[in-house]
Parts: sequence; structure tokens; C-alpha cells
Amino acid sequence: MVSFLRLISLLCLPILFAVPAIGSVSEGTEEDFSEDLLLKPLPDRKVLAHFHFQSVAPSSRSNSYGRHHHLFPKAISQLVHKYRIKEMELSFTQGRWHYDRWGGFDSISSSNAKPSGVELWAVFDVPPNEVDASWKNLTHSLSGLFCASINFLESSTSYSAPKWGFRPASENMRYGTLPREAVCTENLTPWLKLLPCRDKSGLSVLMDRPSIYKGFYHSQRLHLLSTEFDSNAVDSAIVLDQTLTVVLQPYSHRGALGYSNAAQLQPSWSLSSIFGRKVPGRCVLARSSNVYIQLDKGLMAELQGMLGEQEMLAVTRSSSEGSTRNLAFELSANPDRVHMEMSSRNDKHLSVLYMFSVAEKYDESEPLDLRFTWKIPVVWSIPQAPLHVTRFVLGSGNERGAIALQLKSTKPSDQLIPNTVITDSCSLLVKVFQVVPWYIKVYYHTLQVFIDDQPHSITNVVEKMQVSPSEDKVSPGVLEMLLKFPCGLKSAALTIEFDKGFLHIDEYPPDAHQGLDIPSAVITFPDFFTSTQFAENNSSKSPILSKWQGQSPILSYTEVLLVPFTTPDFSMPYNVITITCTVLALYFGSLLNVLRRRVGEEERFMKDKAKKKFQVSQLVSKLLAKLRGRHWEPSESQAPSSSSNSKSKLLFKVILVAGLAAAWQYYFG
Amino acid sequence: MAEISEPSNPPLAHSGLSDARLEQPAFDPNTMRKTKPGFKRLILTISVFSSFLLGLPFLWKSVEIYRAPLPFMDIDALSSQLESTPLQFPCSFRVIYVGFDSIAPRVSAEKLKSSILDEITELSSKSSLCGSCNNNYAVSVVIESGSDCSQTRTDASSCTWRCGALSASDFAVSLENGDDSADDFLEVALGGCSRSASGGRGYSVVVMNRDENVEVTIGKYRHAWIVGRISEMEAIPKIAEIFVKLFGNGGREEGLIPGEFMPVGADGKIFLSFNLLNADPDDWIYDWDFQTVDEVLLKPLIKELAPVANVSVESQVLYHTPTSSFSYWDDEQESYIFNTKDLPFFVNSNEWHLDTSIAAGGRSKILHFVIYIPSARECPLLLQLPDGHISETNGFISPMWGGVIVWNPKGCLDRKSKQHHRQMISYPELEKIVEVFLGQFRQLFGLKSDPQHVGLSGTFNILTSEKGFTKWEIDFLSRQHSCFNLHSCASSLGSLSRLVQSLPRMIILDEIGKQVKYSLKAANLAQRNASLGVFDAAAISSRQARSLAEDAFFHPSIMSVSYFSFEHCFAVYSPFFLPVALHVILAALREWKRYKQEHKKYLAFLAKPNQS
Repeated sequence: MVSFLRLISLLCLPILFAVPAIGSVSEGTEEDFSEDLLLKPLPDRKVLAHFHFQSVAPSSRSNSYGRHHHLFPKAISQLVHKYRIKEMELSFTQGRWHYDRWGGFDSISSSNAKPSGVELWAVFDVPPNEVDASWKNLTHSLSGLFCASINFLESSTSYSAPKWGFRPASENMRYGTLPREAVCTENLTPWLKLLPCRDKSGLSVLMDRPSIYKGFYHSQRLHLLSTEFDSNAVDSAIVLDQTLTVVLQPYSHRGALGYSNAAQLQPSWSLSSIFGRKVPGRCVLARSSNVYIQLDKGLMAELQGMLGEQEMLAVTRSSSEGSTRNLAFELSANPDRVHMEMSSRNDKHLSVLYMFSVAEKYDESEPLDLRFTWKIPVVWSIPQAPLHVTRFVLGSGNERGAIALQLKSTKPSDQLIPNTVITDSCSLLVKVFQVVPWYIKVYYHTLQVFIDDQPHSITNVVEKMQVSPSEDKVSPGVLEMLLKFPCGLKSAALTIEFDKGFLHIDEYPPDAHQGLDIPSAVITFPDFFTSTQFAENNSSKSPILSKWQGQSPILSYTEVLLVPFTTPDFSMPYNVITITCTVLALYFGSLLNVLRRRVGEEERFMKDKAKKKFQVSQLVSKLLAKLRGRHWEPSESQAPSSSSNSKSKLLFKVILVAGLAAAWQYYFG
Repeated sequence: MAEISEPSNPPLAHSGLSDARLEQPAFDPNTMRKTKPGFKRLILTISVFSSFLLGLPFLWKSVEIYRAPLPFMDIDALSSQLESTPLQFPCSFRVIYVGFDSIAPRVSAEKLKSSILDEITELSSKSSLCGSCNNNYAVSVVIESGSDCSQTRTDASSCTWRCGALSASDFAVSLENGDDSADDFLEVALGGCSRSASGGRGYSVVVMNRDENVEVTIGKYRHAWIVGRISEMEAIPKIAEIFVKLFGNGGREEGLIPGEFMPVGADGKIFLSFNLLNADPDDWIYDWDFQTVDEVLLKPLIKELAPVANVSVESQVLYHTPTSSFSYWDDEQESYIFNTKDLPFFVNSNEWHLDTSIAAGGRSKILHFVIYIPSARECPLLLQLPDGHISETNGFISPMWGGVIVWNPKGCLDRKSKQHHRQMISYPELEKIVEVFLGQFRQLFGLKSDPQHVGLSGTFNILTSEKGFTKWEIDFLSRQHSCFNLHSCASSLGSLSRLVQSLPRMIILDEIGKQVKYSLKAANLAQRNASLGVFDAAAISSRQARSLAEDAFFHPSIMSVSYFSFEHCFAVYSPFFLPVALHVILAALREWKRYKQEHKKYLAFLAKPNQS
């Protein structure tokens, strides 16, 4: 211990550099962090909470800090530089996003509704022959970084290289999913470590583990975009977006008032009632720290139908007039700003965003606890993607089956169709991206298309199709399709048949009796984009708002399929070995014994014995002889005439035994 | 069946047998037979048995697993060699006496040399630190006296002295200009020799007789000088101590930090991870310009350490990182005091997510250097030594982990208002921090940072290098490092060979065999280089040897459950071979016994006098 505190002399070091200029560096070369939380009531009495943290690091070439970071996580920047990542997305999801109830036509559902388990894709800036090696190393690094079994994506059977089906023009891209990965706090803690404030202060304090894992949907995502290696990029940087999306069921305060009333009224909620915690203040390192409450288009349309023009004004202008109450609902705090969606069409009902800035006015003693209280019962429907997608397995048994992909029109009302849809040709483009593991042997020629329950020729529907068939134990099959449906479509279905392959005994996953998973298919609508423009040009570049203003494609993930497989008895190899060996050994032993048998000698021996033990041994030897199928030689004591007699006796006995056997077979067999 | 011993007579002859028995009472079918016993069954069973025996090698071959041949003998030889004869690093020392002509011209160089050698052997017998030049010295003595010079016989390892290479007056002038200039002067005057010297690095001590107090100074390079009123013989203990304790032993004492704690990773890499911890960013946020520190202050150090280790630097700033133990307020010091006994709880591994580096490979050594900025609740924070004094550097080290420096913001006691904008730590402050870090880093390597060395024969001044490490310290470190690497390599290979020999059914890939072979080769090369005195090359090849040995030991194929046990083999093959072998062996035995018995009977029959 003494050595620990040993005095260390100050070495004389020449002051080579003058004190460098200290001061604010101009915008764009500074590292930046901002945090946002979006809350949104959902039509099925639930609340969506969406955390968005954004860290931006300027390029190591342009800024004065080089490789040394101040806010940006060191691990991520090292990851980007080591594997030369252009873009990467990793998501951990638990639960399934209900596109019909929680929305399918907004920025959150298109980028934060993820297939359950782990999904990872990455685009590398390396020569095409090195992409696989980079991917493998990346999976190992990520699995260490996030305490997850992402390293299972290393094997070439579990990842694929989509060409255009997953994202447009994706070169050097790899995509892999682990549908069965369980997500829990051990994945969240390393994710939080990447935030400068972790969950010590700021909005992330709300992430009370029991509350957020109790929810119906939980998706934790990390998106990385780097222009570090892009030589002609002017403003190169690494942008790290971390989002956590949870769907929670608020505890209804008004349950006691009366059942009929409470059933109609949407549950009211507050930050403390859904998370069990309040926001004690902002993360001091964040440039901006905002909480938003969004009321979507459907809800606004419904409210407009119920309330008059004057009351609607109160809803949308609540901040400017200083009142937080209107006829429909009540907010506990005064929003700092109200963003109204702007549209080129003259729609009156557009979504509204209330912004609450977590400023200095909140602290430990007076934390921010937003409360949203409904006053009138409202039932509304949320904007949906043009088609609702379900996928299921057809057929039974353990040999073959078929995958069916069903697309049902959600009948988009007129105002939901964006301008981007080409109206004159009146067709609906749908992109399908499906990865099938190699042990599901898909017969691509069996692809069938049904439109409005009528079989349809494939050539009329499929615009473009790319198939890379699976290779046994080497690579999965990838199907990328661009379909063109008529726009009056009610429903469409695609079926494709498959055989189930046989796996080697050590290729079965643990708990193989449960069945094997087919990863989610990705359905993209290339003509549809969601982009929300707000009337006020907000000066604060909040990550959520800038994300919403950018165009994001509409896509939906299907369910993960579970295919039951023939699973062998895993102790079978030893059983088989034991039983075959025993049979072979018996056969071999008896063969050897027969070979070295001395028949004459034995008979003589028996005769000698028969002389001694008269009656009993005679019978025994008779029986033995009969069993050997040879004619029994009567002993000398017997009369020679009995020879024919014994012959008939033998015949009789044989018939008797055969008859008994037949009877047994008839009655009991 | 063995009881059946009746002769196998043809059944037709049977009827006549009873008559024959009556006629020949001497013929007993139980003891003799008339015909020769047959071979058929015996040959059959024996051939089956022998075909099984023949098949056994094939079976053995089919269940055999691949094991690359490992040179077990060489591994044992290496470790036993390292144990029995420690590495011998030759060091060549030279003593140059300047300006002694007037006092004692009678003392010959040879005599001085022998007495220096005596002194050195006496001193070095006490120290047997791995990496020191124990008992492998070459000492030469030069007496330079202006007009003429005398010197000891030069052997092959040291270079010849050119008379008049060091003039007393020039040296005296450079001494006037300060120690640094004297050091540079000596490097220029004597360096030519040490550079041209074959392999070995020459260390030299210049003894100069002047009319002033005796002063001993150790330079930044490989020179030291003793200046003052001193006779030739009086200087000898000092010279010996300089050679043994400083040049030979790097100035370290035994027991400071054991030699095996060399903070270098198995692949010869060190990652210096600098962390600036803001305990509570709600009070104040400090930032640093680490890029400048990296480029200006750390680059020379990294370059200097290149023979010992490959050093990389990375940094991060972390927030919300409280300590896990608390300090108390001290009125006298007007600050918060953290006790030595609480130091183990200073590093809060729950909240300080210093993390390993992704850039670092699996076996690199990461040294964490933490600059801790306390929160307003415990500012200023001071560390207290066990004797009650306050630590001057306000830092501590943890061997093999790194170091912690507590940095208190200026005037933090008075400042109560919260400052949320980021402040920079000024460059002079950063320089001070880096100086403390350098001291800590040297300490992790086991080197002291005192400007003075108090030895048995007086006090020596030690000049410090702005690069952090002086030349002779680097020499010592590379000697020690190669010694440590070789020992570690030998122990890794020894463990590997023991493991491989204890698990006879473990698969050993060719790659492991190759790695072991190359590791041994590199180790031998390192030993040869060390004995030649090429310290740098020895350090590099020893590092290679160690990293290859570790690669072989931690090869993934060894770690995985790739071997299948003998029990497994037994379980698979016994259900067939056990019952079959029973049949075959029993049948062969019985037939053999029977044949012998029958043959005896036949012989008995033949021996009986033939009556008919």
C-alpha cells in the first residue's frame, strides 16, 4: 500500500506548446448529443413511448480532436474505424408490433417496428471480398459489446447479402436475424453505457427496468451512419441514433368511477404512472432535451368530428393562449411549443405535436411529471400502411409445407395516400424480401399468386425477381421480389411450397422440439414515404423532428414463422449402436458355433445318455432333434415299426403349433 | 462339449465296434483313438481369431485422432536451460580517468581494473535480478592525461580507445554550462565508440579530478561522471555502484514491484487508455484537449518504448462517475481527505465503465489512467499517505491496472454556482497531469522517479529525459523484458506440453505444432541475441516467442471440446467387440484344448503295441 502513494516527483518537461486557444469551436466540428422522448396515445388504450438519443461526432479528419472523443462513445467510434462501417443497424426486440392498432404509416412504425429477437444489418466500406470477414468480426465485437449471442450470425448459414429487396441499391451489405434471441436488461445496460449520462440524469432516468420490460412491445435500436470513409463527403461525421420504443398499458385512474364510463374513456396517464418515475431534469451534456406528446391524424380527425371549430382551435393553440385545458383532454403542463403538421393538401385534421422542453425549471425537488387526462371518450383508428401483411405456414406433417403471405388492403382513405403515388397508372408496388434457412428447401417454381382469391399468372404480377437458392449447410435462400398489383386490390396472397430438410444431429438448435424459425419477411412499399412537415420552422434541431421531416420508406415486417420439424430422439445414436451391435454379435457367435459343431459326436453322446436315463432323456433328445429339424433316430430299444408312427406325430405337432400361431395372430394380432 | 471324447468313427463301423471291444479289451475309447484328429475346426477358429487380431491395427488407425508432433524434448530443454543458467547479458563498462596525471601516475590501469572488478562482483552477488548484467562484465579502464594515455588490454567485445578523444578542458567547459550540456558533450565524444561497438552497448563513467566537492551525475544516455577531489581508488566504490545498481539494475531495488509484473500484453502491446472522469457533471464539466497531449507529450515516449512494447493511446471522457467510498472533511487542510486504507474502494467498477478497447486485440495489455475530477460535494479532494502527510501528486497506482490522479478544479470550494458549459483544462495543468502520469507509468515498470539516488557510497544525481525514460533505463527494461518474456514463453510451452501429454486423445492441429516450433526458434534466437548483447533484438524476438507460445496455448481448437475421450470410444465399440471377442477367444481356446487332447489320445493309440 505504501508503494501506491509513493511520492512521484515531477519530471521536468519543457513547455513546447503555448496554451492552445480555448473557446467555443464553430458549429459542425463539435461533438453533439441530444435526447428526446415522444409519447403518443394509441387507439387500443395503450401508450407509446419512444426515446431517441442522438450522438454526433465530427470526422476525425476535420476536427481538432482526432481520435479522441468527448461525448461520443469510444467503443462505437473504434467499431466504425476498425471495420469501416458505412451504416449499421442493430435492434433488440421483444413482442410484436401490431400494425393495425399501433400504426403503419408513420416514421416510428417504419423504422422502429422490428422483428422480434435481434436484427442486424451493416454496410461496409471495404472491397467486396472482405465484406464477409468484416461482418464476422463485427458480429463478435457486437456480441461482446451488447452481451448478446449476436456471434451466431457469424456462420454463413445465418446471414445473407440482399441486393435491392431490403434497401434500395445496397452494396456490400449483410443482413441477419436471430428470431429467438431473448432481450433483457443485460442488453439494455451496455446500450445505456453509450449515452454520456447513462441513466443517471436526463430522460433516460425514466427507464425503470420493471416498467419498460412489462410492456407489450419493447424495441431497442442502434443506428449508425458514418461518412468517415466517404472521400467526397463534405461534412463527414458519425451519427449514432439510439432509440428505445415501448408500448405500455397505463393504469387507469378512473376505473373506480364506473365500469361503463371507464370502458369508453381512454385511460389517462402520466409519466409517473406509466414509468413509475419522473424526469428530475435534463442531462446537462445534452444540447436539447425535449418531451413530445403526439396526437395522430386519425385522432385529430375524430376530435374534429366531435368538437366544433372553436374547440379545435383550443386544442391546437393551447400554448399560445396559455390554457392547457380544452374539452377533449387536459395536459398538466403548458407546452413550450405546438407543432402543427403542414400538408400540401387542404386537410383540416393533421397531427399535432406538443413540445415540452426539459429546461432548468425542473430539478430534483420539482421533477417533470407530464399528465394527460381524457375528458371525453374517443375511439379512433390510426393511419395504416396500404396493405396489411400476415404470413403463415400451410400444410401438415413433417415432410412438406407451404409459406403463405397474405396482403390485405387497409382501404386507405383518400387523405392518407401521399402525393408520391402515381395515380394515372393505378398500380401498387410491393417489394418482398424473404430469407429462408437452408433446411427449408423452397421450390421457387411453385410460387403462386392469388389476387382477390383468384389465381393469377405470376408474370402479370411479378415485375422483378431475384432468387439466390440456398446451399445446404452453406448459405440461406434469399428471395427478393417486386410485385405490381392493381390498385383496386382487396386482398392478395402468395404461396410457395417447401420441403423440410434433414439436419445432422448436431445442427439442431437447443429445444428443437419447439420447431425452427423462419425469419420475418420484409414488405416495403416503394411508392410510399412518410414525411411530416411542420408548420413552424423549428430552430432547435431535435433528432425526432429531423427524423420525421426526412423521408422514410413505409415497410412492415411479418410474423416469425415456426415450422415444426422431425426431431430425432437425441439418444438414438447410442441406442442404434447398441442394438445393432448386439444383433451382429449374436449372429456372429452362433455362426461360429455352428461352424465348429460336431454333429455325429453329439448324437452318439446323446445315445449313450439315453441308455442311462430312459424315458426323460428320450423325450428331450426327441425334442432337440425336432427343433434342429432333423429326423429323430429312435433308439434301439424301440420297435422299428414305430418309425412311421413318430413321423406322423411330428407332422401333427408341427400342424398344431402352426395352428396355434395362426389363432394367436388372428385373435390378438 | 469338452466331455465328448469319443472317437469319431464312421457310423457304419459302429456295429462292428462292440465286437472289436470284446476282442481288444486294451483299447479304451476314453483315452485313445485310432485316427488322426482333424484340423478343420481348429484352423477355422484360429483363422477367425487371427483375422480379428490383424484387424485390430486397422481399427486402431480408424479411431485415431490427429496430433501434430510437438517437440516435447526441446520444450523441456528450454525450460530447464532457463532455470539452470539464467540469461547472461554481457555489459561492457568503461572507466575514463581524466586529469589524474599530476596526482598519482603510478597507479596502472590494469590494477584499477582488477579492483573495480572485485568491487563489482561483491556488489552484484547480492542482486540477482533477472535482466541485470550479473557476472558478465567487461571492464576497461582508460587513464587520459592530456599528453599520454594508458589503457587496459581491450578484448573483442569493447572497442579500442582513441587517445585524446576526451579532452579535460573541453569537458570542464561543458560542465560549466550545466549537466545537460555535459551529458550531450559526453554522448558526442564517447558515443561513437558505443555505437560502433559490436553488439554490446558501452556504459562509461568519466572520473575527473577537480578542485571542488565530489559530485556524481548520471546522464540521460549511457554515461555518468564523477567530478571533484577524489583519488583513483576512492572513486572505485562509486564507479562499481553506478555500474551495478544503475546501469545494470535500472536503479530499482528488489521488492518494489516483482519482475514478473511487467505491464506488457502477451502480444507485446500496451494500450494506454486515458479517462477523464467528471464525477458529477451537474456541478461542473471539464474537458481536455487530448489530441495535443497525445501528439506533443506522448509521442516521444511511445517512440522511446518501441523496443519494449508497442504502445497505443486512446482517450475518453466519462460523466456521472462517483467513487464508491467517501472522504471526510478536514478543517486543517480545508479539504476533503481520502485515506490510504480506503483506496481499494476508490475505483468504482460499477460506475466507471472504463471498458476494454475494441481496437485492442484479445491479449493486449490495457493500462487505465484515470483523471478524476471530484464533485462539488467533495472538492478539493486530497489523498492522505499512511504517515498522515498529503500526497504531493494526489494520485496512486494499482500494479497491472493503471493509475488514478485526482485533479481538483481551481477554487472549487468557493464556487457554488452551477456551470453547465464545458470548461477546458488548461495546457499547463494538463502538462502537470501528464508528468504525474509519467511517474506512475515508470512506477508500473518498476522504475523510480527520484532525481537522486541514495546509494551505499553517496548520493548520485540522476538527469531525467524529457521522453520519460533514459537510454540506460530502456536498456535495462529491454533486458528485463526479454528475460521475463523468455520465462513466460517457457512456462506457457511447458504447460502446453503437460496438457497435451495428459490428454492423449486431444486433437492437435498442425498450426499449433508450427506455432510451437516457431516459438522455440524465436526463443533460441532471443537467447543467442542476449548472449551477444543485442538487447533490442533479444527483446523483439523474445516478445515474438512469448506471443507465439501464448497463441499456441490459447488456440481455439484446444479450448473447444474437440477431443473425444477414450470412454466414448469404448462405449461405441464395446457392444459389438466384447461379445464377439468372447466367442472367438473361447472357441479358439476350446478347439486348441480339444486338439491337444485328441492328439494325445492318438499318440497313446500309436504307442500301444499293435496287436493285429
